[in-house]
Amino acid sequence: MAKYVCSICGYTYDEALGRPEDGIAPGTPWQSLPESWVCPLCGAPKYVFEGQNKPEPKSIPTAGSAEAPEETLRELSVGEMAALCTNLAKGCEKQYRTEESALFLQLAAYYESRIPQEDPKDFSALIALMEQELKEDYPAAKETAAANQDRGSLRALVWGEKVSRILTSLLGKYEKQGDAMLDGTNVYVCEICGFVYIGEEPPEICPVCKVPSLKISKIAKEAV
Amino acid sequence: MYAVRNIRLCTKDCLCLYVCPTGATDTETGQIDRNKCISGCRVCVDACPSHAISLVPERYPQQQEKKAAVLAAMRVLSISKVKQEQLFAQLERTAPNESARRLAKAMRRSCRLMAEDILRESGYMLPQSDNVQTLLSSELDSVKDEAYPKDAAKKLLELLKQ
Repeated sequence: MAKYVCSICGYTYDEALGRPEDGIAPGTPWQSLPESWVCPLCGAPKYVFEGQNKPEPKSIPTAGSAEAPEETLRELSVGEMAALCTNLAKGCEKQYRTEESALFLQLAAYYESRIPQEDPKDFSALIALMEQELKEDYPAAKETAAANQDRGSLRALVWGEKVSRILTSLLGKYEKQGDAMLDGTNVYVCEICGFVYIGEEPPEICPVCKVPSLKISKIAKEAV
Repeated sequence: MYAVRNIRLCTKDCLCLYVCPTGATDTETGQIDRNKCISGCRVCVDACPSHAISLVPERYPQQQEKKAAVLAAMRVLSISKVKQEQLFAQLERTAPNESARRLAKAMRRSCRLMAEDILRESGYMLPQSDNVQTLLSSELDSVKDEAYPKDAAKKLLELLKQ
């Protein structure tokens, strides 16, 4: 009997135990779970689970571990400045510096208003963009952060990679099921790491960053 | 180091009012009066039975240095996350119905949070840090746009000086 671990939240499916509370009898092999089965903790799809004794993935030699290319260190875009300022506003709020926090938000609003329009894309184009990023950019950046023993960057990358994988799988599901996926249920976002959850109630703790549910916000439905 | 009260934890035991030698803890806003608080005194911190008061430093250490290779790799992601955020924002505006709009909104916010996290780990964690101040000054000097809130930036630089 084997065990399978959710690469998003760490939930372990043990074939020997099954999951009786969801009607999965002890001894049910992994292969017998339907493709539509999702992680009972975080809602991630079956394909993100990994066999517990899976060998370490080979490191991917890429650019990024070498010397920094000049152009990537150029000044930040207005979109990045907006995100930087909203984050610094939070940093001030945590220090109970409300005046500074409001000023950072004022700057953020300015940068926000100057963001140029991107060419519109549909959900499937976004899936492709994110898959590309998951395949190349995250592994390369994680390798560089690990090689430089930058645990802080590695932490942000691990969380971001997990959340991006969740977003990609939710978008894939939405492509298949359409609006029915959201009928009569709620959409939640973790305010700390960006984890998105679709379901009645949010998980007690965020499966990605482990913050308690009081930091997981519901996206309000519009009044009809 | 001055005292701050976490309102979510405060159970109004009022011990902080009894022990404060200056009355700084007794205010109508629920927060501790920073002008009256004696730096490093901490009697309210120790007296509070619900551990709702802590000390916030006035000065912070220099932030840890980031390696150029890490910054470059992180930059790739801050750019892509900001781009994704914009694309979701557009989808939110053009969505044909409420469900699609709600999903796009959640994902737009998610991408913003990831972009924020990448940027804060790229040397901009502490608002008072040299990095942040240098960036704000250079923006103040270089942005010529009339809509740029110059006064806000100036005021911020003044307040952030340690």
